[in-house]
Amino acid sequence: MKVTIKSIEYYLPPTTEDGNVLKKENPDWSIEDIEKKTGVDVRYISAPEQTATDMAALAAEKILSSGLQKKEIEFLILITQSPDYALPTSACILQDRLGLDKSCMAFDVNLGCSGFIYGLAIAGALIDAGLVHNGLLLCSDTYSKYIDKTDRTCRPLFSDAASAALLSSSDHNDIGPFEMGTDGSGFNNLILPSSGTRVNDQQADEKNLFMNGSEIFMFTMDMVPKCVNALLDKSGTQMEDIDLFIFHQASKLVIDNIIRRLNLPEEKVYVNYNQIGNTVSASIPIALSQALQERRLKNNDQVMLVGFGVGYSWGSCLLRWSEQT
Amino acid sequence: MADSTEQEIVGIIGNALKIDANSLTAESTSNDVEEWDSLGHLAILRDLDKFYGGKIAGIKEMAQVDSVGKILQLLKNNSLL
Repeated sequence: MKVTIKSIEYYLPPTTEDGNVLKKENPDWSIEDIEKKTGVDVRYISAPEQTATDMAALAAEKILSSGLQKKEIEFLILITQSPDYALPTSACILQDRLGLDKSCMAFDVNLGCSGFIYGLAIAGALIDAGLVHNGLLLCSDTYSKYIDKTDRTCRPLFSDAASAALLSSSDHNDIGPFEMGTDGSGFNNLILPSSGTRVNDQQADEKNLFMNGSEIFMFTMDMVPKCVNALLDKSGTQMEDIDLFIFHQASKLVIDNIIRRLNLPEEKVYVNYNQIGNTVSASIPIALSQALQERRLKNNDQVMLVGFGVGYSWGSCLLRWSEQT
Repeated sequence: MADSTEQEIVGIIGNALKIDANSLTAESTSNDVEEWDSLGHLAILRDLDKFYGGKIAGIKEMAQVDSVGKILQLLKNNSLL
């Protein structure tokens, strides 16, 4: 796709939680063992009154404050599973709050950890088709609001965060190809049961996020290597040609397992889950932004982005990083 | 891969749970073993997959087995033991 990422910003809420907080509230938890397996030392928690839309606006404003003309933003895509309302669409609220032109198209995409890849594909297709030239791809979630304080599976993993990427048309093919997939048979292994209109569900009384960690782990162990290899085949690229792999920052157990199964050199895999946690759809763009800040990416480097999770849904794509962006 | 024996598998499970494998029997379940919580089960899956060179990922039932005996039986059913 003749599309490029011109800039990436992110927002983390000011409140953090570490193992000491978890231990104090749940004295029976073996925090050292949990942290050893999840790899997560610190997580970010949104304030009670702060929503994913609020955080997405803060991330987007970092891009808009760089001198960009707001009328140049022709689309706003918000990837979220924590909308302010079932309706209206949070992206519509953001169009107004950010002061974007009324000619701007705006819509939400309800996807989790694969969302950034899907957002790139959708936005890239819109740009490639000539419908638009510039726009914002926002990812924001507040899973912490869905998690019971005593949930030892979910609470030590998930963080709240938002990211904003400015996508623009380009003279060269910076993004693609893509490899995407779906397996809805796993829908109830990561679910917020009583969050929609289905009321005759066995889990309908359950108000909190439910994750079957073993099933999700088996899914990642099986599907992620296949997704990576399929993208390499599709693009005619060798593993050695990839300068940096950025996987969804699920957890240490998951990332380490992917590294082992694909026999990847650890130095080619970017990780930040230890200091950020699992930020759902924002995890890949935040990792990309931090990799740039840390100069882990150079001009013309080839990056593979891989998102996977709730749905089940997964996607991967190649990204040629251009300094000119 | 060397031929695996039940004893080796029990050793892998004990190692994954960071407990003495001698304390485990075929009847040991995730309810009986404190260390066998959801994260402990992930460690078992990881280490068995490592031992079997990636063959565990394709056995979906492995996610839900909750006893040593059931793990051994599932491995036998899949001709891994």
